[in-house]
Amino acid sequence: MNQFVLQYGKSPELILFPHILELGMKKSGSIQPNTFPTTVTDGLRIYYITEGRFEWCINYQPHVFYPGDVALIMPGIPFGCDNDVLKIGSFTWIQLAVQKQDNGHIQPGKWSGLSETEATAIGKILLLNNLPALSRFNEVGKIIKCIHTELFGMEVAYQARVNHQIDELLIQITRKMTQQTHSIRDFPKTFTQLEVVLRQDLAHQWTVEEMAGLVGMGTTLFTEKVKSYSGFSPINYLINIRISEAIKLLKRADIKLTDIALDTGFYSSQHFSTTFKKLTGYRPSEFRKNHLRNI
Amino acid sequence: MKCIITIELGTNGIRVFAYDLSGRIIGSMKGHYPTFHTEPDHSEQDPEQIFITTLYVLKNILNEYIHPKKYEVASICFSASMHSVLAVDKNGNPLGYAITWADNRAKKEAQELRNSSLGKKLYEATGTPIHPMSPLVKIAWIRHNNKERFRLTSKFLSIKTYIIHQLTGEYIIDYSIASATGLMNIHTVNWEEDALQYAGITANQLAVPAPVFTAAGKLKKAYQQSLRLPAETKILIGSSDGCLATLGDGIIKGAEKASITIEDSGAVRVMGSTVLKDEQMRFFNYLLTDNCYVSGGPTNNGGNIFEWFTRQFGEFTNPFDMENSMQQLMEEVDNVPAGSDGLLFLPYLLGERAPIWNANARGAYFGLNIKHERRHFIRATIEGILYEIYSIGKTLGEQRSINSLSVNGSFGTIPFCSQLIADIFNKPVWVRQQFHSVSFGAWLLSATEMGIYKSLDDAAQPVELPNVFRPNKQHHAVYADYFGIFEKLSTKLFDEFEAIGNLQKKYAHSNKTLIYDNP
Repeated sequence: MNQFVLQYGKSPELILFPHILELGMKKSGSIQPNTFPTTVTDGLRIYYITEGRFEWCINYQPHVFYPGDVALIMPGIPFGCDNDVLKIGSFTWIQLAVQKQDNGHIQPGKWSGLSETEATAIGKILLLNNLPALSRFNEVGKIIKCIHTELFGMEVAYQARVNHQIDELLIQITRKMTQQTHSIRDFPKTFTQLEVVLRQDLAHQWTVEEMAGLVGMGTTLFTEKVKSYSGFSPINYLINIRISEAIKLLKRADIKLTDIALDTGFYSSQHFSTTFKKLTGYRPSEFRKNHLRNI
Repeated sequence: MKCIITIELGTNGIRVFAYDLSGRIIGSMKGHYPTFHTEPDHSEQDPEQIFITTLYVLKNILNEYIHPKKYEVASICFSASMHSVLAVDKNGNPLGYAITWADNRAKKEAQELRNSSLGKKLYEATGTPIHPMSPLVKIAWIRHNNKERFRLTSKFLSIKTYIIHQLTGEYIIDYSIASATGLMNIHTVNWEEDALQYAGITANQLAVPAPVFTAAGKLKKAYQQSLRLPAETKILIGSSDGCLATLGDGIIKGAEKASITIEDSGAVRVMGSTVLKDEQMRFFNYLLTDNCYVSGGPTNNGGNIFEWFTRQFGEFTNPFDMENSMQQLMEEVDNVPAGSDGLLFLPYLLGERAPIWNANARGAYFGLNIKHERRHFIRATIEGILYEIYSIGKTLGEQRSINSLSVNGSFGTIPFCSQLIADIFNKPVWVRQQFHSVSFGAWLLSATEMGIYKSLDDAAQPVELPNVFRPNKQHHAVYADYFGIFEKLSTKLFDEFEAIGNLQKKYAHSNKTLIYDNP
């Protein structure tokens, strides 16, 4: 296969695919100085190594890549190699345009066949796990090659096929990432990591699918493990955290009840009040009055 | 029909049991709460989450087992981990998280105090070893390193005191937990003036110490309603996990028996009407009731070390199935002779408390030769953990005669481990599988309070553990030989432990892991 680079806006092959910013294949036959400077882009970059050994810096952290490995560079993250020198070898890559949400999360665009909730989950997992080096991951090479073949061949329904492949790429990467981040040997550690993430964004309406996806498990196994480890279903455990945080905020006079409700992930102050009373026996306002009496 | 509910506030979560008046379990439930390690030496828990989890689990067990069958709850009795510290302001609201027993931030304070004459005096008065776990040095740490928090603190509580205060409005601490704070004189049962002075606080800043049978006021109205419990439900303050595990195993004053607990960490304990004295300050002496002391030594390295081993070398044919993977490893060692053909393991992966009290201690495999196989490592790891238990038991045996042992805790009650303990100690070991000694101890305490038994001794005397493991004399001889080397190594490497610990710190990766207890 020969070297090539396709770029949206320049290459006619990509005219139907504004979300594919770049697709390429590079062969480096000799050590080439000044050819691989550190760059930052708005797109999501995925590199797949086919030959050689590369030392690349992602977000200023050095990583070593061998054939079969994947480098994943999130939007806005600097990527290049030390001294700008490209070593001998070859790789393929794709750069995808992704939508950035107000909360900093990324999400695939309208071209994607993923449902709204699945797309949100994938965006969240990619961002939170943030693992830039994925090892032994041949599937990515195959998918990029397939996209390349479809774009050049333009057989019937190739537009749909290419978009399917990009979805497939995102799904595979997300799953691989969670599997590589979470060892199947240590549920307590996995649970603690999940708990940290949940607390950082309690206002989010977490679903069991998202929580399970975040730690690389299917919902069935996840629910079973959480129940046997914590004594609670995932959603009830989450309610525990929500009420505990709410209690802390109620003990400070400077935050409004509605804000507490929303910050801790309840739909409304009504929903907050009912859940709180059911668990603690007090309405939030009563609870606050009891604990602020001496101020 | 009356019933008794026990609530155990443990290291990783809460366990609630409901018993009938004959001691039969009606039902049990648990609820996990997390430990946060925001700094390498810190180990903290959120008191509000512990409280909510307590309410939630209590409510669930009442609704599932108690109310539908029209049981009447006679009392709710608490037990808890020792050594926790929670600072609260004048409204009783927490100033930050609770600091748990595993927290090591007061290392420097503990080291200095341990080496001073005041340290020796305080150890003798309070019965609590001078160690970062002790609330005494934790409060001193806050005083010197967190001045604003210290200034705002109206009271320093234990986690149990906080939970009971939420339920009833009383600030009260039982003798057992109080005797593990390093602040209470276990001979006079008052807060110790020298200790208060060292910590920079007054007795008013601590809860009121009270006997373990004390009822801590009435449940607040809101909880009477939400839990559907009558106002006269007794809230018994209870005791500590260590004291209750010993009681629950049927150990009584003067019995020539020791109780061994091996969960994640472990301890060996005896009970008596006098304290153990030790020049080297290796033992704790905690108070169960007046003139009844639970004495012994704790280890950091118990079942958690074999779990570590399993995580590294187990099969994990089913994802996350630790239990099954541990069992598979244990099945491999039946063909390895006692003593692992001369492979020894020092289990100090988490530093060590009793008997060497060396936070710098580290693990080691020793005696490795070309014939050793994977299965030798498995057996040596288990033997090493249990040699360490023996080294505590051996020092206790110098002051008390011990003729038999009772073993509890998830790791110690694995039959292979129970047999090994019998062989290493050369004493019969009594065990009951799937038995929660701490909760059963709390039941014995409640039943005594109700008058079902005349005294705790009367209550504990009939407790029988059904399974006995008798020592194998030949194996014992082998273990005794190897233990000699184990014991020497545990102190001989003192300088090298410190040197390697320093290098590990020097070259430590910057990324913090927020995960594990590092006692």
